[in-house]
Amino acid sequence: MIKDFSYTLALTIIVGIISYGASKSAFALDVPISASVTGSCIISTETNGTYGQPNAYTLTTAASDGGQMPITRVDVTLASAYKVKFTVPNSFSSSPNLNDVVTFTGDTEVSAVSDATNMADYETDKVEVSDYVDEYDLTATGSTWFKHTSVAVNGGSRAYPSGNYTSYVVAECIAL
Amino acid sequence: MYRSLILLLFIGAANAHQMSPTYPKWSDSYIDDISVSRVRVFNKRKDVEYYEIGVFDKDMKPIPFVTQYDLRGIKYHNYAEFTIYINNEYKKDALYVCSKSMLPKLKSTGVVSKICSKFKD
Repeated sequence: MIKDFSYTLALTIIVGIISYGASKSAFALDVPISASVTGSCIISTETNGTYGQPNAYTLTTAASDGGQMPITRVDVTLASAYKVKFTVPNSFSSSPNLNDVVTFTGDTEVSAVSDATNMADYETDKVEVSDYVDEYDLTATGSTWFKHTSVAVNGGSRAYPSGNYTSYVVAECIAL
Repeated sequence: MYRSLILLLFIGAANAHQMSPTYPKWSDSYIDDISVSRVRVFNKRKDVEYYEIGVFDKDMKPIPFVTQYDLRGIKYHNYAEFTIYINNEYKKDALYVCSKSMLPKLKSTGVVSKICSKFKD
């Protein structure tokens, strides 16, 4: 009899503990998860660029001349919140001493988009600010890939001196 | 024939520079007539270790401001929060806060990335 009572008491306590634990677990599920989402712009360099040299006095990123066009990707998380501006090289950032004036030309074009419907007009709507500067309004969220070309011709068709030639593209993402 | 010419241009692959928020706001600081704002810069560019911060007007002309470091090292895959203090006299003209990647001197080639957020009250 006493043994049965002890067994019943122990069982009651165990059930009580389990019930209490279960109720506490149910409360634990109420822990809130909150987030504050803020827009941002991400500029990524996707592909390296290289100058090829089709002749002694020309450097170009054209693939047909042994060069490689650099590709930049821009991601935005808010629509119509940013414009992106690219400046292709109009001088070398480093080079051997050059005795002639180098003429730079270049361009930026959309090469791919993540949203074919809403980004279809990016290239046709771009603003050519100058020979070296192009601007795009990023009216949709997602990713846009831009390819950049650069051609540098040494004055008087004179051969470039041997050495390292470096240059850079400036990519700016500006909130509207 | 032209092999002796070493040709280099833009470097970097899958490297990214990010700044948020898009529209930071000014709030009162603990100092009279000084407002404060904050932006966060994330460095996912292996080729960049330093970023410069600046405050500009509508014509992208620099506006005086104070921060602990206007040129700051940010390790790869890390972020830094820039706290910007400005005299209320200049606040009305301050339209943009921009972060700009600084390419290493010996590797002055590649893509210079610059992201500008816009102040909105």
